[in-house]
Amino acid sequence: MKNAAGPAAQRIPGQPDMWAFVLLEACIFSSYFIVYMLLRARDPALYLRSQEHLSQNFGVLNTLILLISSWFMARCVQAALEQRYDTALRQVLLTGFCGLVFVVSKVFEWSQKISEGIQFSSNEFFSFYYFLTAIHVLHVLIGFVVLGVVVYQLRSPLRRSQQIVETGATYWHMVDFLWVIIFALLYVMR
Amino acid sequence: MIAPLKTRLSLVWLALSAITVISWWIGSKHGQQAFVSSAAITYSVILMAALKIRVIVSEFMEVRHAPPLLRHLMDAWLAFLVISLLGLYSIGARF
Repeated sequence: MKNAAGPAAQRIPGQPDMWAFVLLEACIFSSYFIVYMLLRARDPALYLRSQEHLSQNFGVLNTLILLISSWFMARCVQAALEQRYDTALRQVLLTGFCGLVFVVSKVFEWSQKISEGIQFSSNEFFSFYYFLTAIHVLHVLIGFVVLGVVVYQLRSPLRRSQQIVETGATYWHMVDFLWVIIFALLYVMR
Repeated sequence: MIAPLKTRLSLVWLALSAITVISWWIGSKHGQQAFVSSAAITYSVILMAALKIRVIVSEFMEVRHAPPLLRHLMDAWLAFLVISLLGLYSIGARF
């Protein structure tokens, strides 16, 4: 048996406006990534040397934390659909907790870099590093507001809107997939 | 065979995490990260990132159930990004 939303029931998850926003954000971040690649091509040695100062383990850990948070969020949407609202609420709080761990680990990573004397203006690579990671963390912080709206929706039987829960999830997953590229470009590409 | 959605979500998460660990491992040699220019590492890491994004978009964001227009827009964006990144990397490597 297919799950509730079978292939026949094609529909946009959440509000279409959020998808317009996701596509806009995808294009804006793509422009950052393309400029990064263009400038990197001029001096790959500098970028490789600088990448050596990043903690690869931090990068992997950050990625895994966000993947876990997305997993919780997807389970929240599923639980809300099945009207298991207590479970959905627990899952969205776990999503937020993972987001918090991500932000704390980023702040810790930045403070480590700064104490090593690595700053925004140290070189071109580190300008990208601080810019991309900071603008991404900003999106995670906005994500906390989005998760707050989902929690607000789920708490009262009078409000519970599946569409708003899905809209919040769409935003949160976008934050996750943008990090996936940042991780590849800053930490692991050579 | 179609797994119940809860199991499916867990399998998706497991696969995404496995790809993440593999891409981290690809960049390392003998337990040490290698910091030398490598097209093989870069291509595989960017392609694996693209795969992860497509899985997140289609499974977690449920685009697999969405109207074709949304699916095609997301695919077109991802294809554009990957081709641009790999293209710029390849051209840059010639100078």
